[in-house]
Amino acid sequence: MLTFWKNVLENSPDAYEKAVRARDARIGSFLEFNPTRHLGNAPGEVASAEKHAVLAGLPFGVKDNIAVDGFRLSCGSRILENFNSPYHATAVQRLIDAGAVPVGKTNLDEFGMGSSTDNSALGSTTNPWNEDYVVGGSSGGSAAAVAAGLVPFALGSDTGGSVRQPASFCGVYGLKPTYGTVSRFGLVAYASSLDVIGAISTDLDVLQAVYEVISGADPFDQTSMDPVPSASHDADAAGVASLGYRGKSPCLGVLKPEQLELSAEVAETYQTCLEGFRSLGYEVKEVSLSMLEYVAPVYYTIATAEASANLARYNGVRYGLRPDYAENPEELVRLSRDQGFGAEVKLRILLGTYVLRSGFQDQYYLRAQKIRTAIRTDFEASFGEVDMILTPTFPRQAFRHGGEDMSPFEQKQADKFTASANLAGIPALSFPAGVPKGLPVGMQLLAPAFGEPRLLAAARDYATLYKPELAPGYERPAGEQ
Amino acid sequence: MNTQELYVTADLAHIQLTEEEISRLALQVEQMVAYFSKMSEFDVSGLEPTTHMQVSRSRARVDERRDIPGAHSDTLLDAAEELEDRFIVIPNVL
Amino acid sequence: MYQSFIGLEIHIQLATQTKIFCGCKAAFGDEPNSNICPVCMGYPGVLPVLNQEAMRMAYVVARTLNCTLSPRSVFERKNYFYPDLPKNYQISQYEHPLGRDGFVDIEFHKKKRRVRIHEVHLEEDAGKMIHAGDMSLLDYNRAGTPLLEIVTEPDLEVGEEAEVLLQQFRRMVRYLGVCDGNMEEGSMRCDANVSVNLSGGGLGNKVEIKNLNSSRFVRKALNFEISRQKDILERGGTVVQETRLWNENRDVSEPMRTKESAHDYRYFPEPDLPPFITDDAFLLEVEKGLVELPAARRTRFIDEYGLSELQAEFLIDERSTAEFFEHTIALGADPQSAASWLASDVKKLLNRRGESIESSVLNPERFAELLRLLDEGRIHGKIAKQVLEEVFVSDASPAAIIKAKGWEQITDPAELSEYIDAVLKANPNAVEQVRAGDAKPVGFLVGQVMKATSGRAEPQLLQELISSRLAVKVIHVLSFGGAISGVRREDGLIGPGELFDLRTEFAGDTGLPAELRLEEIQLGAFLSEEIAPADWAVLISEIARRIEDSEAAGIVVAHGTDTLSYTASLLYWFFGKARIPIVLTASSVPNDSERGSAKPRSEAVANISAAVKRAASGAPGVGVVYGAQEFAPLNLKFERVEEGAARAGVFRTWNEIGGDSNPAHLPAPIYPAAGVEPTDRKAVQTALENAMSRCFIVKAFPGMRGDHLITLMKNGVRYFVLELYDTGTASVRETPYSLRAALQYGAANGVSFFCTSQQEAMVDFADYVTSHELWREGAIPMGRLTTESAFTRLIVAQLGSEDELEVQRIMEDQ
Repeated sequence: MLTFWKNVLENSPDAYEKAVRARDARIGSFLEFNPTRHLGNAPGEVASAEKHAVLAGLPFGVKDNIAVDGFRLSCGSRILENFNSPYHATAVQRLIDAGAVPVGKTNLDEFGMGSSTDNSALGSTTNPWNEDYVVGGSSGGSAAAVAAGLVPFALGSDTGGSVRQPASFCGVYGLKPTYGTVSRFGLVAYASSLDVIGAISTDLDVLQAVYEVISGADPFDQTSMDPVPSASHDADAAGVASLGYRGKSPCLGVLKPEQLELSAEVAETYQTCLEGFRSLGYEVKEVSLSMLEYVAPVYYTIATAEASANLARYNGVRYGLRPDYAENPEELVRLSRDQGFGAEVKLRILLGTYVLRSGFQDQYYLRAQKIRTAIRTDFEASFGEVDMILTPTFPRQAFRHGGEDMSPFEQKQADKFTASANLAGIPALSFPAGVPKGLPVGMQLLAPAFGEPRLLAAARDYATLYKPELAPGYERPAGEQ
Repeated sequence: MNTQELYVTADLAHIQLTEEEISRLALQVEQMVAYFSKMSEFDVSGLEPTTHMQVSRSRARVDERRDIPGAHSDTLLDAAEELEDRFIVIPNVL
Repeated sequence: MYQSFIGLEIHIQLATQTKIFCGCKAAFGDEPNSNICPVCMGYPGVLPVLNQEAMRMAYVVARTLNCTLSPRSVFERKNYFYPDLPKNYQISQYEHPLGRDGFVDIEFHKKKRRVRIHEVHLEEDAGKMIHAGDMSLLDYNRAGTPLLEIVTEPDLEVGEEAEVLLQQFRRMVRYLGVCDGNMEEGSMRCDANVSVNLSGGGLGNKVEIKNLNSSRFVRKALNFEISRQKDILERGGTVVQETRLWNENRDVSEPMRTKESAHDYRYFPEPDLPPFITDDAFLLEVEKGLVELPAARRTRFIDEYGLSELQAEFLIDERSTAEFFEHTIALGADPQSAASWLASDVKKLLNRRGESIESSVLNPERFAELLRLLDEGRIHGKIAKQVLEEVFVSDASPAAIIKAKGWEQITDPAELSEYIDAVLKANPNAVEQVRAGDAKPVGFLVGQVMKATSGRAEPQLLQELISSRLAVKVIHVLSFGGAISGVRREDGLIGPGELFDLRTEFAGDTGLPAELRLEEIQLGAFLSEEIAPADWAVLISEIARRIEDSEAAGIVVAHGTDTLSYTASLLYWFFGKARIPIVLTASSVPNDSERGSAKPRSEAVANISAAVKRAASGAPGVGVVYGAQEFAPLNLKFERVEEGAARAGVFRTWNEIGGDSNPAHLPAPIYPAAGVEPTDRKAVQTALENAMSRCFIVKAFPGMRGDHLITLMKNGVRYFVLELYDTGTASVRETPYSLRAALQYGAANGVSFFCTSQQEAMVDFADYVTSHELWREGAIPMGRLTTESAFTRLIVAQLGSEDELEVQRIMEDQ
């Protein structure tokens, strides 16, 4: 399959484009698709290209809140509907340098705010496994495009689970790297202290190569850094199960399923999964993660607070949607924002503004930041005992469009497994673990900071037990004869 | 949060809300704020807030010109709705 | 009694190459929206990256302001919407500013004050919004310029102090090289907060004043605001806590329209920027950025180089001038002459050419060479000025210019003697006259030698050679009127007249040296109480010409008693540094003695005789001789005493400065800092007339109406010498018989009040509530100077000053 992908743009770009358009008419994963726009961009330094030869020639999708010069950067919002990015995000630039080709921009919940991609103002995306169900979010377009064989990988962004949750809903891998290891330059900020660019793929080799290419310090992002290597990480890179770990079996922390409020299908898959790891030689140990119940309130307090400031720049003055008529600057700004933002975005801006207001800040924002410290400490303590923690990615499988079987409020509460990694700044990987009743279920592995190699190795181990598959009807890559 | 507070908050956020939006948002906001209140159960004494993920070192930029490729000032001005002699124009209060 | 409190928020744009959070050029005056990028335009997806140089400069300023430096400074987002603020939040500092708890010392009208610095923090500047009819134009070139905010505690009391602080601050940041301090272009800006309360009541309700775009506005606006708040309190009202805008066109502050909720800035730590941790390398860079500050340098210049305060003040004002000066000194130049040339001719030339010292072709090497040539006598002063001008014109070294132009002075006595011999030979009659006791031809002969040498003869040497060749010492006696040259009329009254014939009168005076040749020159025939500016102009130009032309070895001025204290101090301010003695004398009665009679010599004759002797042998500079006593030219007081049946005039020196009449202890003369060429009688007359028409002397008295002074101000009076009681007291009650209204009106209109004492007291506004009030209203204490000396200083100060501030500075420099 990889051989196909490496050559498709060179050999049959037209057939590829046609096939993608045909398939995407059903799922709506791309907001903009143009496989030839960045074709022929000279790849970067040879070293990088050789080292990551696996990426050369691969088309990839980019979530539409990540800047690609020459494509729009709409963030799924009316306010940026016609906004063209004048520059490349660092992650995109590095992939281009490695020979990969951005072919389009994928749909998302507006500004990354949502768990379904239904909050996009510019298009609707549906789950390739079943069109009645949502694709997850907010990087839903990227997950759908990968699951439907439109691209071998796609970039997403993950603030509270936005890469992992749709990956889980679509039965593909989704990696959220350690905070700061991937430059956020070019990622439209939702919550700056939580945001990270991640990748979605069906192929762990591709996923690992993408991570290696896009990670590393960037002079355009002062919070970015090179992954810190350590002895344990070297062991990670060589694979977990095959070598043994620190002279003993790798140790996997698991949670008591009865406390987790999981759907029957997810609970069952979780059980199967930990049994599977045990069968691979992993030691399985229960951890408490007592702070888990605070994750969602803390996450939403911090995320909305930061968002309220991050989204203040959209005011119709320098770019973006401007009302047809406004009498004064004040009205111009208010009308732009009223017409430009969707309901969920407004809700989160209001919440974020409120929790920062003087008189409320100590009670909400400051308190949340302090509890965030406790959550990090909680993880640190757990990682003193176990090498990784296994949780479900989301308490249930994909829900239906319109939220009739899961309200927006319930969706938010359900972010606790994924958002904990963002609060702690640690890496996490969602991997496919089963397709009960025709909808995929993903499990999540969490590791200490810079433990990405460990996560990928464990996922490789698990792939020997369960081989993920593409959505029915999309088993072959788009355009493959 | 009562409606009055919601109006003040919306005003600070520069979001114009219609009556209909207010009544719909008020419920959701109320629900979330109540949810946030769960945090008050936790004893935060002695905890420092986490404001940044990494504070291990301070990297700063040397004072040299640096462009973002592709982002020339003329290109940026093209994104503005109304221009006059390179100025971006907005309405003024008379 | 009310107390006022002023705190300042000073913003300075740091002079970095690029903006604080992006690589765009930070510059003023470029095409609109040309220095912009996605970062400073608040584009989606971009991030700030801190400019380390901005941080270094910020810490240098904080360190210079004696702040505690934060080892960990944190940026925060300050959230508010404004079209010129691209992100609609400003990256600033709040909880952890980079500097805290510093101080800066200032001095206003002799009162020193320590102003505490609350904090120093770094932030980004906003863009600019220009209103044009029904639209507003936005330019984001300025957005993201590093802006340093310095917040003082409310330790200032009057607007003038704020002005002083700002000027000092401006100079400091220019010295540090972190900002050009240009308030007009907005690279330095100021907001202030003002509160007024009953004395002892602590701070009152705070009013913030914005839009103070020059240090002058700051003074005006703050004093306006203080009196506005006082008025409110006096009427029993309450000051509303608010923000007001200074309207520079109407000279009033106006409330700013704001919405209440707009003030919740919702600060929170900027997640895009890690806290800045200072390490040793960084702190070392900060230490390296520290420089000797203007105040320290001023003190050192005074101590090390023996400069006057005014000279030092001039030199240190710009770092480049101070460094030019020190460089010149290092090359061996005399500090005194370097300082006075820089403050006068060099400054004049630079101004005229619109150049700055660092960009001009005059470098310290050339300048030092010029002074050395002057010092070695290879050129004299007049030629030196020409050479200086020529340096600017031909971009050549002084030595080369002198050589090319043949301007080298004749300093070889043998060579000069040849010219003198020739002239004496050619003018036997003149020589004969001199030998017979007439001084007049000496000047003629000197002129002939000068002519023969094309002006290249060294004047002092010429003077000495001619004197010794002719064996004469020429003293010019300038008769300037007064009773000393007066006559007693038939009705018994004393009237003006011509000075008696000295040769006759002195015949047989064995005390006079034989080689003395006296020349009498009648400059005026009036009583000294009738002196007008035109008369002073004649006197000044005649003296100046004689100093320059080497005609006389000394000058005696025969004056009246009544105004002697004015003329003596006036001449001192002008000629205190002259190379020949200038001696003033007077008499209260004319020379009544019958010629040749055996009667004791009259007071007039005796005083002139003493003055001539003093001029023939005494120290250079200005002195006064009266009644066989020698006086310093400053702080003279003429007193009448009854001596039995006779009345006599007596002089006494008030507040004797330095305890004796040694000129070294007197405040320095202020010419040649003055801008007028003193030999040009017409120019001097015009300048004096202009200066005097702006001055007025007022003596405080019970029931004096302040509004009369306002009438004077309305008629063009810009400067008062106020003769107050004791150490500087007067009525400041809220009655018509108070100075307060006049002082306030004056302050608002740029009028200065220089205060002296009716008693023999030193005015320093120290001890009394009323004095402090006068200080608050801007009255300037004159220290030891008497009214007469202060007044004449004020006249001379105006001649060389560009504006009222400079006059004030000269007046305060004693």
